[in-house]
Amino acid sequence: MLSCLPINTIERARPLLGTTVTIRVQAADAALAHDAISAAFADIARVHTLMSFHEPDSDLTRLHSAPVGARVIVDAQTAHVLRAALALSALSDGVFDVTVAAQLVAWDLLPPPPGAIWPTPGAGWRDIHIDDDNGVRLGQPLWVDLGGIAKGYAVDCAIDRLRAHGIEHACVNAGGDLRTLGEGPHIIAIDTGETAPSHRPLLELGEAAVATSSGRAHVTDDHRASPHVHGLTRSSIGRHDCVTVVAPQCMHADALTKLVMARGAASVDLLEHFGAAAYCQDAHGNWSALGQSSLGAAA
Amino acid sequence: MKSRFLLIPAYALVMSAPVQATVYLSVEQAQALMFPGATFTPAFVTLSSDQMKAIEQASDVNVLSPNLKAWRVSSGGWFIADQVVGKHEFIPFALAIDANGTVKSVEILEYRETYGDQVRNPAWRAQFTGKTHDAPLKLNDDIKNLSGATLSSRHITDGVKRLLTTHALVLAHQHD
Repeated sequence: MLSCLPINTIERARPLLGTTVTIRVQAADAALAHDAISAAFADIARVHTLMSFHEPDSDLTRLHSAPVGARVIVDAQTAHVLRAALALSALSDGVFDVTVAAQLVAWDLLPPPPGAIWPTPGAGWRDIHIDDDNGVRLGQPLWVDLGGIAKGYAVDCAIDRLRAHGIEHACVNAGGDLRTLGEGPHIIAIDTGETAPSHRPLLELGEAAVATSSGRAHVTDDHRASPHVHGLTRSSIGRHDCVTVVAPQCMHADALTKLVMARGAASVDLLEHFGAAAYCQDAHGNWSALGQSSLGAAA
Repeated sequence: MKSRFLLIPAYALVMSAPVQATVYLSVEQAQALMFPGATFTPAFVTLSSDQMKAIEQASDVNVLSPNLKAWRVSSGGWFIADQVVGKHEFIPFALAIDANGTVKSVEILEYRETYGDQVRNPAWRAQFTGKTHDAPLKLNDDIKNLSGATLSSRHITDGVKRLLTTHALVLAHQHD
């Protein structure tokens, strides 16, 4: 039944997670909507503080500063994201690897973490050990960067918080990694980073998460460098590609964009595992679809 | 989970839209949200060139304007409305500083994204309504969502750093 109350659309934005996070809510009660948005932002800020690569008090900074082999107790949320990252590493045989930060630092794309021990070459995800009580041990010196997964997790937390506050229709967008609440339909425009595209891609969604990764905006004279790194070869990936993943959870959508970039059609099983679909544009501007949905080009 | 992917020909989407701002909050709304129940006393400051130089030296961020829109908050602390230069446009934002001089919260007041605004503009959207070859998009909702490469918030974090320095060097020494 349609409500007689006018529906307000309230949108706010804060600088968090190294990007601009916007939360848009549709609700009859504006005060309730603002309370829900403030609470959701607080949850995102908490993820930012816990899982930042650079904040001096983050769980990761404490882990990087600890002697090798020492057990560092991390927050349950950090442990949850680390476990999800390690599960993705295992499923992809190490193509997804949260220890590639050393490569990004070497390319000057990331400043080194404060006060950390320099990583051992060859150290990787198998050297991260996490126990049932959220204790983390590093088998070798290495740097964990959750940048490829924590943003999506923060979006999921924000959506859960909005739902707990009784919000039924919303969208949380962390610089392009977003998740919707409510059946919509939500129309999402994909920014492919092209300068003069012949077509504009749009997604029509119900309740779902969407993440897009592209190395295009970062293409520099250094032909090795890219913000996305193949976990096994440690070489750059996706310098001329754009990958969008639709998944139930934003944490998975965020991480899967990197896996699709690295493995292309070989990532279908992984996409199916997470109930996800991918839309990929290659260097020549050609689109292809992988996973659950089929490509429905309009032209 | 339903999803539908559509490619809309760019020729159907002539980019004529002027840059539009998304207004998130007015200054008054931001004040009420960031310091609930408090009252605000304007304490606007015109920075001297010496003060501007000192702020630039201490924060390593350029000071673009000598005009500082600051309010003293009845419950302690300061509210500052300021702006930074983004990639192309000014981004107005509000900073709440608590009584200890630390950041309480930051809210972006307005934002302009070129691509996103093109998508939001009704005239822009009207041009492709019904022009798709298969089932047309149900455009009963605005296209307000953009998924793409991450935009850095570096400009705003630099702005916050500059205002914290301004607070420490100028505002904290003000007396009624």
